[in-house]
Amino acid sequence: MKENAGRSISRRNFLRLSAVLGASAGLAACGGAPSAPAPTAAPVAPTAPPAPTVAPVATAAPPQAATAVPAAVSTFNEAPMLAELVKQGKLPPVDQRLPKNPVVLTGMDGVGKYGGTMRRGYRGFSDRWGPTKIQNEGLTWYNPDFSLRANIVESWEVSSDARQWTFKLREGMKWSDGTELTTDDWKWWYENVLLNNQITTALPAVWSTGSPRVAMKAEFPDRYTAVFTFQDPKPLFAYNVTREQPFVHAGFMKQFHADFTDPAKLEADAKAAGFETWVQLFNDKNWWWTVGRPSLGPWVPVNTMTEQLFIMERNPYFWQVDEAGNQLPYIDKITHLLFETPDAFNTRIIAGEVDFQARHVSIGDFTLLKENESRGGYQVVLGVSANHVAFQPNHTAKNPKIREFFQNRDVRIALSLAINRDEINELVFNGTAVPRQYSPLSMSPQYYEKLTKAYIEYDPVRANQLLDQAGYDKKDAQGFRLWKDGSGPISFIIEGTAQAGSPDEDAVQTMIKYFADVGIKATYKAQERSLYTERFQANEIEAAFWGGDRTLLPMIAPWIFLGSQIDRPWAAAWGLYYNNPNDPNAEPPPEGHFITKIWDIWKQIEVEPDEAKRNALFRQILDIWAEELPMIGILGELPSPTIVKNGFKGFRGGFPNDDPTEDENLLNTQTYYWDDPARHTN
Amino acid sequence: MLQYIVRRVVLMIPTLFVISLISFAIIQLPPGDFLSSYVAQLRAEGDAIDAAQLAALEEQYGLNQPVYVQYWKWISGILLRGDLGRSFEWGKPVSELIWDRIGITMLISLLTILLSWAIAIPAGVYAATHQYSIPDYLMSFISFLGLGTPSFMVALVALWVGLAFFGVNISGLFSEQYIDAPWSVGKVLDMLSRIWLPVVVLAIDNTASIIRTLRANLLDELNKPYVETARAKGVRETVLIWKYPVRVALNPFFSTVGWTLAALVSGETLVSVVLSYQTSGPLLLRALTSQDMYLAGSFILLLSTLTVIGTLISDILLAWVDPRIRLEE
Repeated sequence: MKENAGRSISRRNFLRLSAVLGASAGLAACGGAPSAPAPTAAPVAPTAPPAPTVAPVATAAPPQAATAVPAAVSTFNEAPMLAELVKQGKLPPVDQRLPKNPVVLTGMDGVGKYGGTMRRGYRGFSDRWGPTKIQNEGLTWYNPDFSLRANIVESWEVSSDARQWTFKLREGMKWSDGTELTTDDWKWWYENVLLNNQITTALPAVWSTGSPRVAMKAEFPDRYTAVFTFQDPKPLFAYNVTREQPFVHAGFMKQFHADFTDPAKLEADAKAAGFETWVQLFNDKNWWWTVGRPSLGPWVPVNTMTEQLFIMERNPYFWQVDEAGNQLPYIDKITHLLFETPDAFNTRIIAGEVDFQARHVSIGDFTLLKENESRGGYQVVLGVSANHVAFQPNHTAKNPKIREFFQNRDVRIALSLAINRDEINELVFNGTAVPRQYSPLSMSPQYYEKLTKAYIEYDPVRANQLLDQAGYDKKDAQGFRLWKDGSGPISFIIEGTAQAGSPDEDAVQTMIKYFADVGIKATYKAQERSLYTERFQANEIEAAFWGGDRTLLPMIAPWIFLGSQIDRPWAAAWGLYYNNPNDPNAEPPPEGHFITKIWDIWKQIEVEPDEAKRNALFRQILDIWAEELPMIGILGELPSPTIVKNGFKGFRGGFPNDDPTEDENLLNTQTYYWDDPARHTN
Repeated sequence: MLQYIVRRVVLMIPTLFVISLISFAIIQLPPGDFLSSYVAQLRAEGDAIDAAQLAALEEQYGLNQPVYVQYWKWISGILLRGDLGRSFEWGKPVSELIWDRIGITMLISLLTILLSWAIAIPAGVYAATHQYSIPDYLMSFISFLGLGTPSFMVALVALWVGLAFFGVNISGLFSEQYIDAPWSVGKVLDMLSRIWLPVVVLAIDNTASIIRTLRANLLDELNKPYVETARAKGVRETVLIWKYPVRVALNPFFSTVGWTLAALVSGETLVSVVLSYQTSGPLLLRALTSQDMYLAGSFILLLSTLTVIGTLISDILLAWVDPRIRLEE
């Protein structure tokens, strides 16, 4: 135990250190890197136009001269493989491929080098989110401090009532096929996809407001301006579009749209592809992974994702450059190799066949992966998971006694105080986690210490007192407490999907022991996931052990805090009511209950244009949580491992691994590079 | 004989119909459907799916229709157009998914069967004719070991040994540069340099059981009067053994062709899962867990068809190999 503790402290320190490094590097990059010695950046630049193909090796050529010569010809540099195509006349020069005002982005390790392949693993088409997040570009994206920057659009403006959003496009920005992206594509999408009720059968929340939803109005005053107007204020819209594109390549998608091609032929094509209607064919083609569909991503698919080896290659028209004017991305090619089991994937990692990946790398395998670092020539870099180990008592459980029990605030506080979080941390997680309630991460703009630390101390004496005072003071022969009417003992079933032997299952079993220590009987039942889903949707669950994530930017994903994300069923029937009052299992919460206060505050946040006011309002929700403890968090900020091959630059540990920020791609995968690309061409 | 075959073939039609009904029903039995696992996945990826979108998806996948409508859609597609339906999970027609994989699977399985027979038949015969000799004990010991060790375990150990002692990752049927390449001499050589591993792993289990069965059967036969008679008439011992009792002892292998044919396309599931091979077993397994019903249903129907055909073949083979078996009365 001593040794463990020592190790864990050093790991924690490591984490902090890497976080600090990440932040300072970010600062350095923003501030123009005053201390960065010039020579390190220099050898990357020379792409002297007609120099005999071996361009990047020419270290003898003075870089200053190299940049001086092409200055007249070219302001930007490009990858050797593209320069070759330009020379052959197959591609226009880089200056013509980039927009007038490209995104300027420099990675954590500064200006990089061109070339090389990044090898990863995936589980096939159903696991498409991994590759998706690598290439995905939205209208906006995050800076390393989680503020927003303009991405696809050059700038945006919002009206004072937060109803009207105006986006300026980048002039001369090109799709991967070389055609220009203009508001024509936006308009075509708006009129023929979003407003086509055959294709869009249910309006997505992003492009609408109100209940029932009303679609935004879109106007396009010129080729580079788009104005979206919503019925209700939509102050968080800039965050909603970090991963969204309100347009498609009209020229390409028209061939699958019944209003623009011969419907009879289209239906025949759909049938031939195994679909019943043209709409299904349209939807199937309207994904980025359709080979040949023009895209805006840094890499575009070369083959289909159902292959064993899915390959993406650089987009020659990608519209971002680094501070030295080098067109991004640096890495030529990304491959995803199919695997069936985690064992097979781990074997590949250990054999050094995975270059950069967080997805599917489990903290449960930390020791194995760490031990084999030198064999595989990689490092396990730790980020922070947004997930929590947490327990959800269902306030709306169907059994009235359990419902009364869980609705009692003192009971929930007692259950929280009964848990020895430090011990679970040491026993199950080698002390790598942080004892905390379910609350925003410490790096989140919404971090709130009061909630994070509410009732996390181990105090079984106080827990017993609270339970006694709550009226559950009578006990049976075995020491278990009885219900208020004297029947009993009190017992409930905790459901989850953690199977026997997993860390989460160890954690819940340990928690059950602490509950027994204060006279509460609970049992854990592992469910298969779809059965679990059916049960929470029918409000059949008494209590759940299903963690809690979405804690980096809870403002854009607040549903666990609202109780409306009922896979964390701390109030399943009320959550169902919030989502759809007509659901047969929905129940309205009692008048004046704290959950209705949370909902009222959220309604204000949704329409509040002022950021400071929004934050203050959200703090009120967190205050209610700190007071009421709707669900009981145990541990959080678990380390989340990323495999980084030696010589792979640009990534930093200490950042959150969370879905809204696209996991390991938060820091812009297009700015990652190989120190020695020649050794990584596969 | 011909009449017999025709009658059997006609009988296969109702059998397969019933099998298709049952397999489709079984796939629908677990709670939820493909959408519930798909939506759960979308939620895990941060996508908030609401009730309206869910209904739209159900409509799109045809999952809101009653089971018999879904069944009819599927089976009529197969019967009328040879269309096996579309896999939800892979977003591709089923036929595009399975045929590639079945080819490779059959290759592995055939090689496995050939290898295990080549080892097991001589070994089994030797063990029976030299009962209680040291080689017999040795072979019994090894084959019990082979029987007792699950093949996925052997595959895992092989993976680890390859990595720990030789520093190579032996999973996958092709090196990365050949996976996507068109077929060429280099690709075939590359595959052959890797395919021996699953073949050996699978053959261990197979060989062991064949040795045991053959040994037991042959021991029964060796003491029968016809063997004594042949020996008394002065037939040479090797000719005698191989010509008469071994043929009889092989009967069980012919009568199990029915299963063997189905096992050819799905027998290697666990080993393939462990070693990440793109064979049909893992595809079927995943189709079942994600309730990708058209893929799973078509697969099961295919396996059943193979079993039914295999049973027919085994009956014919038995009649042909063993003159004592008569088809009528």
